[in-house]
Amino acid sequence: MGTFIQLVVDGLSTGSVYAAIALAIVLVHQATGLINFAQGGMAVLAAYFAWWLTNQGLPLIVAILLSIVFSFALGAVVERWLMRRFERGDPDTAVVATIGLLTLITGIAGWLWTYNNQQFPSLFPLDTVSFLGVSVSIRSIGTTAVIVVAMILLQALFVGTKLGLALRAVAINPQSAAFSGLPVGRLLMVGWGLAAVLGAVAGALVAPQLTLTPGMLDNALVYALAAVILGGLTSPVGVVVAAWIIGVLENLAAVYVPFIGYDLKVAVPFILLFVVLIVRPQGLFGRKTVVRV
Amino acid sequence: MNTHFRSRTARGVAVVSALALTLTACGREGDGGGEGGASASPGITDESVTLGITTPLSGATAGPGTCTVAGVKAYFGAKNAEGGVEFGDGKTRTVDIRALDDTYDPQQAKANYDQLKNEVFAMTAGLGTPTNRAWRDAAIADEVPQVLVMTGDPLFSDTDESPWQLGFVPIYQNEGEAFGELLASSTEEHKVAILSQNDDYGEGYVEGFKSAIEGADNIEVVEELTYEATDTSVDAQLTELANSGADVFFNAMSVTPLMISALQKAQQLNWKPSWFLPSNTSSPGAILEPGGAAAYPGIYSVSFAKAPASPAFAQDEDVQAYLAALKEHGDYQDPPAFPHCQWSWMVGATLEQAFAEMTEPTRENFMEALRGIEGFQAPLMLEGTSVTTSEDGQPAVSTLNVQKFNGKGYDTVESFG
Amino acid sequence: MASASSLSTSSPSTPSPAGQSFRQRPWVRMAFPLVVAVVLAVLPLVLPEFANETVARIGVFAVAVLGLNVVMGYTGQVSLGQIFFLGVGAYVTAYGVQNDWNIVLVFVLACLIPAVAGLIVALAAARLGGLAIAMVTVALPIVGVPLAKRLSEFTGGSQGLSARFAETPEWTGLYDDQWQLYLVLVIGGVVFLLTRYLVRGKYGRAFAIVKGNENVASSMGISPYRYKVLAFTIASLIGGVSGFLYMLVIQYTSPETMSFGHSIELLAAMVIGGAGSIVGSILGGAWYVLVPQLTNAVDASLTALLQGAVLLIVLFVLPGGLASLPRVLARGRRRSGADRGPGAPPTTPSSTAGSGTAAEGSERERQGLA
Repeated sequence: MGTFIQLVVDGLSTGSVYAAIALAIVLVHQATGLINFAQGGMAVLAAYFAWWLTNQGLPLIVAILLSIVFSFALGAVVERWLMRRFERGDPDTAVVATIGLLTLITGIAGWLWTYNNQQFPSLFPLDTVSFLGVSVSIRSIGTTAVIVVAMILLQALFVGTKLGLALRAVAINPQSAAFSGLPVGRLLMVGWGLAAVLGAVAGALVAPQLTLTPGMLDNALVYALAAVILGGLTSPVGVVVAAWIIGVLENLAAVYVPFIGYDLKVAVPFILLFVVLIVRPQGLFGRKTVVRV
Repeated sequence: MNTHFRSRTARGVAVVSALALTLTACGREGDGGGEGGASASPGITDESVTLGITTPLSGATAGPGTCTVAGVKAYFGAKNAEGGVEFGDGKTRTVDIRALDDTYDPQQAKANYDQLKNEVFAMTAGLGTPTNRAWRDAAIADEVPQVLVMTGDPLFSDTDESPWQLGFVPIYQNEGEAFGELLASSTEEHKVAILSQNDDYGEGYVEGFKSAIEGADNIEVVEELTYEATDTSVDAQLTELANSGADVFFNAMSVTPLMISALQKAQQLNWKPSWFLPSNTSSPGAILEPGGAAAYPGIYSVSFAKAPASPAFAQDEDVQAYLAALKEHGDYQDPPAFPHCQWSWMVGATLEQAFAEMTEPTRENFMEALRGIEGFQAPLMLEGTSVTTSEDGQPAVSTLNVQKFNGKGYDTVESFG
Repeated sequence: MASASSLSTSSPSTPSPAGQSFRQRPWVRMAFPLVVAVVLAVLPLVLPEFANETVARIGVFAVAVLGLNVVMGYTGQVSLGQIFFLGVGAYVTAYGVQNDWNIVLVFVLACLIPAVAGLIVALAAARLGGLAIAMVTVALPIVGVPLAKRLSEFTGGSQGLSARFAETPEWTGLYDDQWQLYLVLVIGGVVFLLTRYLVRGKYGRAFAIVKGNENVASSMGISPYRYKVLAFTIASLIGGVSGFLYMLVIQYTSPETMSFGHSIELLAAMVIGGAGSIVGSILGGAWYVLVPQLTNAVDASLTALLQGAVLLIVLFVLPGGLASLPRVLARGRRRSGADRGPGAPPTTPSSTAGSGTAAEGSERERQGLA
């Protein structure tokens, strides 16, 4: 039983890493209707920036805050000067543009800071807490807590604020949003900026565990995407829960289903995804969108 | 061979201009190597010799990949600055390196090989099993040397199967075996937990380890799990392994961040076995320190290279020359984060040995010279290890020291405990 | 080579104001395929070895991109798993060759097995649409890699399979690279021709309607489900052919072959070449092969940075892909001609012009170049 609970807890902490990226992807999608493959790349860049600042002697928390500001600007600039060209065009082209952006950012990070693993200092101590024979690191608890806070803020933003409504209006129909007087261009920039901020937080949270490399979040990206679709593109709560489910189920399947094992456990989230989508095409927590002919 | 009306006509064709940037010079004069003993192979003149490398310089394995180029570039950069390398035919040649990025994609590695094969004298130092296997057959057919490559795949050290190949680093089995032997000689009973990468790397380590402990009554393997190199976490594996109650943990893992988090996770679970780490993921500065390795009763690894970060070698002449050259000629500014940098430096020294024995500027003669090296103590090599290329079935380096972490660097040990 | 042929069609048309009408002239329509065929037949003989090898590789990935285009460019179903079918085709080929099966049988199996696999996946996945189908197809390479390792009895595990086959027959007097290129040109050419007939015929129209709007398709009696399954199956079959060609040219496959990253690169190549375009597929294959070579030639340690930058610049200039270049140029000429004329039409504000051309480009892409 102790092992079982430990595996669940381990899965939750791995799931939190996926959730961090997934939240940023959801935010961009809500704000611009795009899936941003470069979301992880931008988070890595922010983490490198923070890491570089700490090497210049700044305290970690200050460095992270500065990297958050940097990320907001980066996100807004990327939207205004790069992605806007693709936003009204073919969505496939826009997705490929974000793939190009990911490649470019990875290349820049590798060029400036090499492909070697850099140690990123952790906001939380590595000490562990034990209860019921289960041990959890304070870092995992801290990461999860920040993710939950971000999730709540995001949910509140979308549901309860004018900004959130405006962002969604722009994403769903930019033309009519413009007709109703919304500053569409600026809202798009804000949407990307906020997503990049979320990414920067995510990067700073997971970098101590994954160690800082240009491709740090590449492997997590696929899981994050799965969580985004599974949870429903419209729901921050949904994607975080989905990311946790993925993390936990993967572990349990690897240990308790001998046929799956550690090599094929990666199939578990996709099988789950498939089953859920057949039953609920909008995802676990997503809203159904009605398309008119 | 039939005659062709190529090369000159080709220039007229518009298509060539579209491809021109990426094409080699026209023609195929260098085909097949010299039939007459005297005619020189491609990539070598009286003044210079060109070596080719295809290795990952971007992507997930770019860290060690960059090192495989940097070391050999630094070695020959320093030699070139002194005038060049003396060959066995009495000529002194400078050594040029042409390195291409294959992103660990076998298809790209083959493309890089095709691009380089008629320009370079020999291919060397590239990292990766699939990326080297992708063009192994082609290299044999074209009679292009593919030597001192960075893979522990035994196929490259089988002279019958691979007449134009030679691996540099010990085959994975050797490393696993070295630790297995040490453990089997222990006077106590041990329970072993094994975690291995799910590919030829992990399998090779485990195979070597198990063959060494076969028949040793004091050793029992209690749990054996795998992970994927693309995993973001091995927490679940560690949880399961910790439960096995093993006092020795054989961790055949080649991914730096996973190794660090494994070291941390076991502590969190209050599982404190003795560890065995492979040679490429046991760096004191980059892995053991952030992983908090001091908490464990013993961290063992195998090595044949001096660790430049270790205080024991800080004043070592070899190490100092190496670090200076790496900065000046290897385009590598940081202290080396992967042992591949040191290995690649030794590849340079080994190639120089072969060059010194070459009496003709041909690939055949080079292979002969390369296979005749015995007991060569390359710079940066640890006491008791050496380069021997004449032994069939073994790579250039097959001797290893088992070492134990002392809090700063490693000490060579003879017994477990 | 495709880039050259498309360039050469546009350059003679430069003096005439309407490039389209030049291509529509009957003698051009008759002569053009003949010229292409002759050029392709002669090319392998005159090009240097590495150029032949490069063109052969372009052929391999052009076929792979073509398959992706069938399901994505023409039918509008995002597939992130095309590389999986290339991998299956390559594995089947390698296994067959290693067991000395007849090469024709190997080829047939290398087409059929991926097609059947694709059919099974499609029967389930085509129920979904949009991003959901994308995520299900992501699973193919993600699960395919560990699966290939587990089935090591057939796949050689992580060490992969080597297979050299189709040795050059003595009587041809050709070099290996020339013989291989001819095989790629013939097999690839047949696949391209068949696909061209497919997408220009009634199936192609049905694909386009499904892509445009599934509800409209249903109301016209076209079952989106059936056509999505069909498109996916054909794409898988073509992927299998590209896997066969992959083994012919690269002669080695390993789990690495079908990694997710390469699937993404294929997708990028398709969009860069030109989605929903036959010529675009060839350009996409050329992109896949040539850009890494180009960036390697510039600076091997900066390949990722350069590739990302080149991709963004090309997409920024040509959102419709490389295949839209002649049209963009023609439009540019028309526009500059119109500006000089007296009755210049009122131009749209520059802010909307950019996105307008983007949408127009991709719209014309779908109908125009098919």
